[in-house]
Amino acid sequence: MLVAKNLSKSFKEVNALNNISLAVQEGELYGLLGPNGAGKTTTISILSSLLKPDSGEILYQGKSLYQNLTESKKMIGVVPQEIALYEDLTALENLKFWGTLYGIKGKELQSKTEELLDFMGLSDRKNHKIKTYSGGMKRRINIAAALLHDPKIVFMDEPTVGIDPQSRNLIFEVIQELHSRGLTMIYTTHYMEEAERLCDRIGIIDEGKIIAEGRLEELKKSSKINEEIRVRFTNVQKTDLSNINNHFNGQLLIHENQMVLSTSQANTDLPILIQMCTNANLHLENLQVKSLSLESIFLELTGKSLRD
Amino acid sequence: MFTIAFKGIRQYFKDRTAVLLSLLLPIVLITLFALMYGGIGKKEKSRPISLLFTDQDNTELSKEVFKTLNDQDGMQLFSKSYGEASDLIKKGKNTAVLVLYKGFQDSVEAGNKAPMELFYDEAKEIEMGLLQQALWSNLFGITMKKGIKGKVNTWIKEKNPDLSDAELLDIQAQVEEQFTDFDNSDDSKEMEKKSNLPMTAIVSEEKNGNLGLVQAIAGTAIMMLLFSVSGSGASLLKEKEDGTFRRLLVSPISPSSILYGKMLSTLFMAVLQLTVMFLYSWLALGLDIFINLPALLLMILSAAIACTSFGIFMATICKSRKQVESLSTLIILVISALGGSMMPLVFMPEIMHKLAVVSVNYWAIEGFFDIFWRQLPLSEIYPKMLVLMGIGIVLTSISVISFKRNLLKLV
Repeated sequence: MLVAKNLSKSFKEVNALNNISLAVQEGELYGLLGPNGAGKTTTISILSSLLKPDSGEILYQGKSLYQNLTESKKMIGVVPQEIALYEDLTALENLKFWGTLYGIKGKELQSKTEELLDFMGLSDRKNHKIKTYSGGMKRRINIAAALLHDPKIVFMDEPTVGIDPQSRNLIFEVIQELHSRGLTMIYTTHYMEEAERLCDRIGIIDEGKIIAEGRLEELKKSSKINEEIRVRFTNVQKTDLSNINNHFNGQLLIHENQMVLSTSQANTDLPILIQMCTNANLHLENLQVKSLSLESIFLELTGKSLRD
Repeated sequence: MFTIAFKGIRQYFKDRTAVLLSLLLPIVLITLFALMYGGIGKKEKSRPISLLFTDQDNTELSKEVFKTLNDQDGMQLFSKSYGEASDLIKKGKNTAVLVLYKGFQDSVEAGNKAPMELFYDEAKEIEMGLLQQALWSNLFGITMKKGIKGKVNTWIKEKNPDLSDAELLDIQAQVEEQFTDFDNSDDSKEMEKKSNLPMTAIVSEEKNGNLGLVQAIAGTAIMMLLFSVSGSGASLLKEKEDGTFRRLLVSPISPSSILYGKMLSTLFMAVLQLTVMFLYSWLALGLDIFINLPALLLMILSAAIACTSFGIFMATICKSRKQVESLSTLIILVISALGGSMMPLVFMPEIMHKLAVVSVNYWAIEGFFDIFWRQLPLSEIYPKMLVLMGIGIVLTSISVISFKRNLLKLV
């Protein structure tokens, strides 16, 4: 469906993308996982023709993106990170406006907008202005606006940013439904749970490079580590944990009152970790040994957390 | 509270252009108003009052009148036929014409009422006031002195037909001596009051409607329109800020279409605003908008094109809405002051008249004056429409280039 070869892009002295290549099969949901500033939005902007790469090639169904740009654009749907809607217009007016830009008219436009509003569960609010919508509802209309013209491929740039867990779940359901209908999607996120839950294949991007790519199981297999120990404390915040981190060669991830140790030898490391925590006067609340997550893989690959 | 205040101050200083403009705006306005009210350049001589002069008598005395008036500080005379002069006044290029009719010298020398008349444009109230003062003190000085001397000499000749030429000249010299201090005498002032210069308005409120109304409508309409279109143009930058611009760019329409679409909607709003303003002026204020409807419609369109292109121009050269707001306010206030939206140009010194031609307001206001006040035919008004459209084309061209160049920044 999509093949991108050796894409590079610089903004003045900042090297935003460095020789990125990726291929997405028809019907595939490809996740682009990386921290803020890794190059996810730049990649999507280039693949959707918003930006021109300094070098490289983009092929859709074997044809260059720029061979017939207008036709290529009709194949693409983009769900931007921002709520790219007109707040003073109703949901119906917004969808009709965006649909018209793709040449959809009359009854087709009417039925398409109604269908999508129904799909998003917002039919009863279609005549309400967007500014009266909740964050989650706006996000759903934001997605609907990218689907009006029946695109062959949809780019979703962090479509769940800034919404509550319930709304996020609703959006996940929408995406899973679209995936089950065979729509090809590229999904960027810095939430590893999202990538794990939704994506068929994942590309891990950092500092403008794809540093690992494959199915979740493949990524896990390629990793030197295979388990993670998750420990929750009641009093971790004011404690100096540098000794513990040094002992485990920086494989310790600390977030609020939770500690995650990625390891290939949980049996050996677990008693040592508990002993060191007891010595540091940390009060244990909960402990889990789990199989490896994407976050741990990212930490192993880049030496930093996704939230950095 | 202080944290929020400091954050606000930090944000303010982040946009250096906005900071510069916020400081520049009052400086420019102070300078401008100082210029308008004559606070700057006081050493410069004030603009001479220009008077057209039609000499139908063509005698020694009529030439003396021309020379005397032209020699006055602050007055400049131009000889024209009455037809030419009247045309220039109707077009608003000159204020008044002084006509000395045939038999002027004879009448004056006979001590009769001088056959002369002043034709003027009522719109140039201020200039007319100054002109009347200058004419009064100079014109009657010549005509009255000459008239009284003529009358006395005629009377002496009639009463003493036997006097030799030498005796007559001697008496005339003595009469002349009596007039040495005439100009400042009470008799002179008394006679001046009784003298009469017939004045006829070529362009007047009676014939041409309410001058103040035309000024108020034309001046205000254009200034307010400029503010409206700059806000409308700024919506292009709001699209950028809201992310809708990115979505527009990935859709299958060209970037130029986005700009032209924005221009078109702004133009529609501008035409609508002007139309509503004139309809209101007709219904509520009694302005006869049907006096030359085709010209009015074309002038509305031309002014709307020029103002719209200004709004889009501002949006494409600025990086943020904040910049558009500051810079537009500055430019609109300056060009409105220059172009006569805030105050009629006749109140301003010569330099402001020359600078006014760079202002959209000037051409639009003059155009509306041509329609409602001077009541000129379309063939006389269209050059002003062409200037407005020319301004529109130039600003649009720059906007298109600037928009394409800055497209990446808008993304």
